[in-house]
Amino acid sequence: MIEFDKFTLENGLRVIVHRDETTPMAAVNLLYNIGSKDEDPERTGFAHLFEHLMFGGSVNIPNYDEPLQLVGGDNNAWTSNDVTNYYLTVPKDNLETAFWLESDRMLSLAFSEKSLEVQRNVVIEEFKQRYFNQPYGDVWLHLRPLAYKKHPYQWSTIGKSIEQIETVQLDEVKEFFFKHYAPNNAILVVSGNVETENVKRLAEKWFGPIERREIAERNLPDEPVQTELRTLHLERKVPFDAIYMAFHMGKRTDDEFYSTDLVSDVLSNGQSSRIFQKLIKERNLFSSIDAYLTGDFEPGLFLVTGKLSEGVSFEEAEAAIWEELNKIATEKVTDYELKKVKNKIESSLVFSEISYLNKAMNLATHELLGDANEINTEVEKYRKVSIDDILNTSAKLFRKENCSILYYHAKK
Amino acid sequence: MEKLYRNTAPEYKTVDSIEILGDKKYTLSNDIPVHVINGGSQEVLKIEFIFDAGIWYQNSPLVASMANSMLNEGTSKYNAAEIAEKFDFYGAYIGFSAAKHDSSVCLYTLNKYLTETLKITENLIKDSIFPQKEFETILLNKKQRFQIEHQKTNVLAKDEFSSLIYGKNHPYSNIFDESEFDELDINTVKEFYKTHYIPDNCKIIIAGKVDQSVIDKLEKLFGKNAWPKKDNLMDAKHEIQLSEETKSFVCKDDAVQACIRIGRPIFNKTHKDYTTLHLFNLILGGYFGSRLMQNIREDKGYTYGINSIIISHLKGGHFVIVTEVGSDVCKAAIDEIYKEIKRLREELVSDEELNLVKNYISGEMLRNLDSPFALSESLKGNLPFGLDNSYYQNFIQELKTVDAEKIKTLANTYFQEEDLKLVVCGPDNCRSSI
Repeated sequence: MIEFDKFTLENGLRVIVHRDETTPMAAVNLLYNIGSKDEDPERTGFAHLFEHLMFGGSVNIPNYDEPLQLVGGDNNAWTSNDVTNYYLTVPKDNLETAFWLESDRMLSLAFSEKSLEVQRNVVIEEFKQRYFNQPYGDVWLHLRPLAYKKHPYQWSTIGKSIEQIETVQLDEVKEFFFKHYAPNNAILVVSGNVETENVKRLAEKWFGPIERREIAERNLPDEPVQTELRTLHLERKVPFDAIYMAFHMGKRTDDEFYSTDLVSDVLSNGQSSRIFQKLIKERNLFSSIDAYLTGDFEPGLFLVTGKLSEGVSFEEAEAAIWEELNKIATEKVTDYELKKVKNKIESSLVFSEISYLNKAMNLATHELLGDANEINTEVEKYRKVSIDDILNTSAKLFRKENCSILYYHAKK
Repeated sequence: MEKLYRNTAPEYKTVDSIEILGDKKYTLSNDIPVHVINGGSQEVLKIEFIFDAGIWYQNSPLVASMANSMLNEGTSKYNAAEIAEKFDFYGAYIGFSAAKHDSSVCLYTLNKYLTETLKITENLIKDSIFPQKEFETILLNKKQRFQIEHQKTNVLAKDEFSSLIYGKNHPYSNIFDESEFDELDINTVKEFYKTHYIPDNCKIIIAGKVDQSVIDKLEKLFGKNAWPKKDNLMDAKHEIQLSEETKSFVCKDDAVQACIRIGRPIFNKTHKDYTTLHLFNLILGGYFGSRLMQNIREDKGYTYGINSIIISHLKGGHFVIVTEVGSDVCKAAIDEIYKEIKRLREELVSDEELNLVKNYISGEMLRNLDSPFALSESLKGNLPFGLDNSYYQNFIQELKTVDAEKIKTLANTYFQEEDLKLVVCGPDNCRSSI
């Protein structure tokens, strides 16, 4: 049970406080409700580039990192298709520095031309390093547009191409900031060795004066229902063939999310899981294989991805995967098997509660999805999943016409 | 309403000392040392069994790592699938790792299932049988991973750099050819297991919610239960061979970036100048505010990231700067790296910068040593050097005595340009950068 206090400032900023006395540190996590799904299709990668620019100095503070490092703090950030999340940790006595820094960059950025120019280059190098200079690195750049035809999940957070990043101008950066960054479009979570009263005082002091901003309602196109199998063949200089199968699933807040998550666990969580045992250990068809969900807020994807063992054909490999998927979609899992994956979920929840920073991020995500207290009630939702739920969810997911397959060929 | 001064930083406190949750020591009746770090709010345990069974002790490549991995693959009581089934059912996680000197088996479990999960752990540590079929599967999959890894410029650069500073055949390099996977004999691996995974060669670190019953269970399963001792264990000898070459280029034609490594062998953490080296490293490339990161990423935009690190091995160590840059700016990046090192040789670090890194490092220690699990990791790293976690308290005190002069002296003693090895791995047009 994670206890927390919650309050909202007049400008709409939601604040959550969780006390964990076992650490001498405090974490501040600021989640903005803006992700790459909110981008203009001609300006993809913008939300992520913008995240870099948030470190380029704010209206009253020329350098973000230095004052934080001076008080023993550290920070980072990440961007997903759904959100942009900034977090930092400081020794508990220096919590106010965090409020000072975070509130100033919510108030306004410095919008420096130099920072934009440098970070454009940095992001382009990131693009190369992570997507082009790694074996199998470009998979998602191709798999997303195969699975999504209308919905903005069709592009990765890094963007569709380097070209779209190269030409970003400063006035677009300004416009983006005032359109999406606002107290009423963010959630602040403070966790660790902190007192609610003190957090309240600091929040009022530093964030209170920032004015509420007009945030346009999100209006994303629905992804049309897929009606036939889609396939794509790529050939790259990699040592082994690989297969990527993507199935459309529901959104994060659907009841069915929990049974879908457990389906992926039955298939591939842990070494006793079905596809690990059957396809790697027994039949030696894959050197690695995995089934998992993207966990996106909007309707997401259920993935089955594997690297083929030397000498195994795509036909054989794919047929073996379908065999396992058909089995879970037509035959009931046993009581024992369901109990096992539920035990694993419960255990991983207990382990995830060790880190105060982790708890801060999870509280923020749940609050944005509807209610921070879900962090405590989720386990009950997993417990309630029945054998029939697993069967029905699997039957709905694992249909050819709901599937996109990327065949990644090794160039010999 | 309080008056706001947004352009003035709030007051702050420096971390003068850190409280570290110490470890309590026990000894099992067969002399296995047990270190206990008791704390945390969750009912969970991390129990790590550490053996002197790392790469250092093997006679041919892959032996230590395969012996370690095969512990999960079958005992005379359970086959691999049954072992996996049991750990998964209790929501436990078992991890295996083979490092330079030690190899370990690490159990993460909920306290309430300790009896069951510890029993299986006992079984696989003492009674593994190395089935042929599982051996072949694990080896083949390791080989595929090896082949994929060796497509990466950073892996190729790392191998080349290690061979320059330790020599191709030294365990700290751990470089070997793909063909070794086809030549490995299961009996060599099995023999390694039998001679190295023994009580005389073992220590245990437990972290989490530990009470007497946990110690009692350990004693029962690992102290008293039959577990053959061997007393003729031999230490291995390996000579470091520093190459005379100072520069090397590894060509990877399809790469879109160049990976750069610049560094040298250096003393380990038992040396009297280690704290100074730590500060030198931090200032140069050890954190986001470092000179290299600020210059090469934040000013020039040549890279997504650049870091320098110090690796302390038991019998050696090295310092290295690592980055991946656009191939068109490879030469420029290398020049800037040398320029930053030269500045540390020639100019004193300002009080302001020194103060900042000292504060940063104290905060980092506070952050990294705040949970029993994290403390057990640090303890594992310290024990081979004859140290425990009180090492960090001394470190913080010693930090205060390091001044700009000391850092400059260290830079001049160890970081002359001719002391440094340079490796570049990238497309052919980067060849002229070195």
